[in-house]
Amino acid sequence: MNRASSGQRRMVIITLAIAGVWAANALKLNPIDLVTNNTSIIYDFFSRALSPAMDYESDVPLGTKPLIVKTLSAAWQTILFAAAAMGISLIGGVLFGFLASSSLMIESARGTVKYITVTLYGLVRFLMALIRSIHELLWAVLFLVAFGISELSAVIALALPCTGILAKIFSELIDETSRSAAHAIRGGGGTPIQVYFFVLLPQTIPDLLAYSFYRFECLLRSSAVLGFFGYPTLGFYIAASFENLFYGEVWCYLYTLFLLVAIVDIWSNQIRAELKL
Amino acid sequence: MKDHLIQLYRARPKTNFVRLSLLVMALLISYTWIGGGFLSSNNSIIQRTENLERFVGELKPYELRGESFNIYSYLSWAKTMMAEKGWQAAETTLAISVAAIVLGGILGNLLAIPASRNFASNFNRDHLNLSALLLAGPARLLLIFLRTIPEYVWAFLLLSLIGPNAWPLVLALALHNAGIIGKLSAEVIENLPDQPQVSLHSTGASRLQIMLTAVLPAALARLLLFFFYRWETCVREATILGMLGIVSLGFWIQDARARNFYDEMIFFILLGALIVVIGDVISTLVRTHIRRIF
Repeated sequence: MNRASSGQRRMVIITLAIAGVWAANALKLNPIDLVTNNTSIIYDFFSRALSPAMDYESDVPLGTKPLIVKTLSAAWQTILFAAAAMGISLIGGVLFGFLASSSLMIESARGTVKYITVTLYGLVRFLMALIRSIHELLWAVLFLVAFGISELSAVIALALPCTGILAKIFSELIDETSRSAAHAIRGGGGTPIQVYFFVLLPQTIPDLLAYSFYRFECLLRSSAVLGFFGYPTLGFYIAASFENLFYGEVWCYLYTLFLLVAIVDIWSNQIRAELKL
Repeated sequence: MKDHLIQLYRARPKTNFVRLSLLVMALLISYTWIGGGFLSSNNSIIQRTENLERFVGELKPYELRGESFNIYSYLSWAKTMMAEKGWQAAETTLAISVAAIVLGGILGNLLAIPASRNFASNFNRDHLNLSALLLAGPARLLLIFLRTIPEYVWAFLLLSLIGPNAWPLVLALALHNAGIIGKLSAEVIENLPDQPQVSLHSTGASRLQIMLTAVLPAALARLLLFFFYRWETCVREATILGMLGIVSLGFWIQDARARNFYDEMIFFILLGALIVVIGDVISTLVRTHIRRIF
């Protein structure tokens, strides 16, 4: 590092500070608005953090499932939506990742086939960029108006952006793998398809796996949020209890979500550690 | 030859934990598709097709329906839309993401200091002492809690608690990202080469001095990379948070949906995608620049 780079470094920080001030100004963010007359509600809500509800906070009809059972079933639904979406996006991600990989579609093709593969490559890249730029909730809203409420469209809404991201990451993984083994097989007469399945894919699997588990964690969070749009995941119950001012129940659901995501977080960390070998 | 291959195959790296995880995941995914009921549907196919046809028909801008396709009339329609709501919404969305990431970056990095175990144990390598446990433990738990609760949930809760201004959205994004940035930064701080820290420690430097003179300069580049990487996701999330009722892009999407103006809705959704792509490009350029100058 030299003097010039430390000056540039300062420039980056100063630019960030200016951007922050511009944003605060554009949004009219005033610290006074934070301390509103709602302080009692804020206190009520956060004081329940230490005592989440273990049972319903209102009278429920006889025979209603206990709160714990309801919470667990909501958590299970959250997992189901995320896992179903994971299945689609894994298949889509691997397939489109192959089609979006420049080393295979552009470098390995020859002759007239190359026109087709390059067009396909461009098309797939554009498509993947488009589907991952639209937030999963926007996909959900789009499907909601196009098809009406249906669990399948919720799963597809979750899966689309995830597929786009997995395809991007996966194509980058393929492009960055060492090519020596691939060249050897190509030189020995292997077709690009053989090279893909028997050389490149096995090499990228550990990284793909580790990343997919991270994506599963993100899917769980998104799946919980889908509840706000009427699907039976955790978000649905958070919204309902919060609007009824049952703050203890809200914390019960929040802690469940916390446990759910934290477990997957630890799980995927462990997998990453094991795969480093 | 065949024996060699078998030997090679047997000697491949493998771990039972990963195999078990894969099995669990595969079972879970197959169960959801076989027994989860996602493929059954309560609406009939005909009803669905009718719904879809109506939706697709209404995607065409209202003013232009009945006219033949003309790119210029579409462009002028888009221009009016941008002038009426588009620019304002795009600016707010961008401002929310910037304000949130600056706030989240500051908060996350402040939390990363106690959460990094080498700082917490006073840069005393080899043994983790009680102060490390008492400092790093709760800090890490807080970071995990912040990042496991989705932005949307934070925003929903804070909106009723704080009131209808831009704060809830900014704070929601900032809290969630503080959790992620804090975790990533703590890992960076822990994985730095520790000779400078240890030698400073042996000359009697305090924790704060070590932090400012040995840790921060060495870690800054990576911290900034994470910062811009998270800003990308912030832009993406900022496009939807307006759905909760604060005027930004998501608000107009929700508004158009409520009024069944599907032409406007798809316009704002595509505008959101465009903003996200622009954010991605800016972030990639800045990150390349940072990699070059550091």
